[in-house]
Amino acid sequence: MDKKILETVKELTAEQLGIEVDEVNEKSSFIDDLGADSLDTMELVLALEDEFGIEISDEETEKLKTVADAVKYIEDNK
Amino acid sequence: MNLPKLKIGNLVAKLPVIQGGMGIGVSLSKLSSAVANEGGIGIISGAQTGFREKNFRTDNNRANVNGIIKEIKKARNLSPNGILGINILKASNNYFELVKTAVKEKIDLIISGAGLPIKLPSFVKNTKTKIVPIISSGRAAKLITKVWKKRYDYLPDAIVVEGKKAGGHLGFKKKDLDNNSIKPLKEIVKDVINVINPFEQKHNQKIPIIAAGGIYTGEDIKDFLEIGASGVQMATRFVAAEECDADIEFKKAYINATKEDICFIESPVGMPGRVIKNHFVEKYTNNNLDSVDSCYKCLKRCNPKTALFCITDALIKAVNGDTENGLIFIGENGYRVNKISTVKEIFEDIKKSFDLKKEKLNSLI
Ligand SMILES: Cc1cc2nc3c(=O)[nH]c(=O)nc-3n(C[C@H](O)[C@H](O)[C@H](O)COP(=O)(O)O)c2cc1C
Repeated sequence: MDKKILETVKELTAEQLGIEVDEVNEKSSFIDDLGADSLDTMELVLALEDEFGIEISDEETEKLKTVADAVKYIEDNK
Repeated sequence: MNLPKLKIGNLVAKLPVIQGGMGIGVSLSKLSSAVANEGGIGIISGAQTGFREKNFRTDNNRANVNGIIKEIKKARNLSPNGILGINILKASNNYFELVKTAVKEKIDLIISGAGLPIKLPSFVKNTKTKIVPIISSGRAAKLITKVWKKRYDYLPDAIVVEGKKAGGHLGFKKKDLDNNSIKPLKEIVKDVINVINPFEQKHNQKIPIIAAGGIYTGEDIKDFLEIGASGVQMATRFVAAEECDADIEFKKAYINATKEDICFIESPVGMPGRVIKNHFVEKYTNNNLDSVDSCYKCLKRCNPKTALFCITDALIKAVNGDTENGLIFIGENGYRVNKISTVKEIFEDIKKSFDLKKEKLNSLI
């Protein structure tokens, strides 16, 4: 897994959810572990799109459950 | 104050009332044109609009595109000078194609809820069609406005704020509705005005805020105008209109419904919906529904393997008059509907109660 992408995703996640970066790890589930709701998820996806210059469709958004899912998606589509 | 006009960009409605889109088939060309002719804004439902087309089952997408074209043309014929819009669910599988169709037919505005329509501005740039998201919180209003401005340099032409008393699908969690933890609509409208105001200031553009959910009389309208809304969206009140496109049995179900007859179900869309208790809802409550055996693939979230019922079939049955075996959406105030009247009569009554409130206020001063 790309370390740099992982770090950026963790930072953006922490910023969006108003938590510390230490609280986020690869395995964290946005909704179940970090308490994100649907609007948080949407905002996070938009932030990732802007940061990495990619597009994430609604169907794909639903599949991105954990930090690792997001990192993998970015690696594959960057 | 008389009932003020509602301005959405260059569109000016004589009355600050949008008739909310009602699917499936409850608000089509007849109701929307009647409302537009009285000076309100009439909204055609873009949910499975092709339900009367022959190929509805076999080629659902095409049928709906044709349905939308037909209803817009019919409504335009019936109300050449009125303001007409269409309501298209963000959760629809063929959302973008439906949007493109409506824009091509030169619809005046598109109102879109059940999800945030992030990409909507890209379909209306350089057209006259206005776009209006439906949201249920200040947070969502801010998010969509921020993203539209940043990505498309576009501000919402208006924003509909829908509260918990609305009919149809609600943008709240069932458990929050059950334990009453949702803010009253007035509070949400104030939140939205607060987050939208900085955008209006910065870009020197008015974004009219439209309140929806449980608004029934002219007095209600006055209440929302007083806190800064520019207009209201009303749906339930128009169902028993003579011009409403639903079967007479559907209207009678509204007239006969008592407060206790109105309840919630979890819809396969993944949102709670407010409905009238009937045979179908009883079967749903008792977990006694037949399994779903065919699918239109109409909604992004719906999975026919796990869905308890097909929302499309259930809504079509009801609008066609089978009010025991179909599903009847209704707003919290639906029990107040007690007779069939014309759209004109409904607006006269609204104006009268708006003026009444004025007199009451004057006598206080
Ligand atoms: C029968 C019925 C069907 C509805 N269908 C839709 C729909 O398809 N899409 C939508 O965005 N809103 C739908 N709504 C919500 C209305 O457009 C409106 O915002 C809401 O009902 C306003 O509250 P009121 O009914 O108390 O006036 C529906 C409402 C009713 C009563």
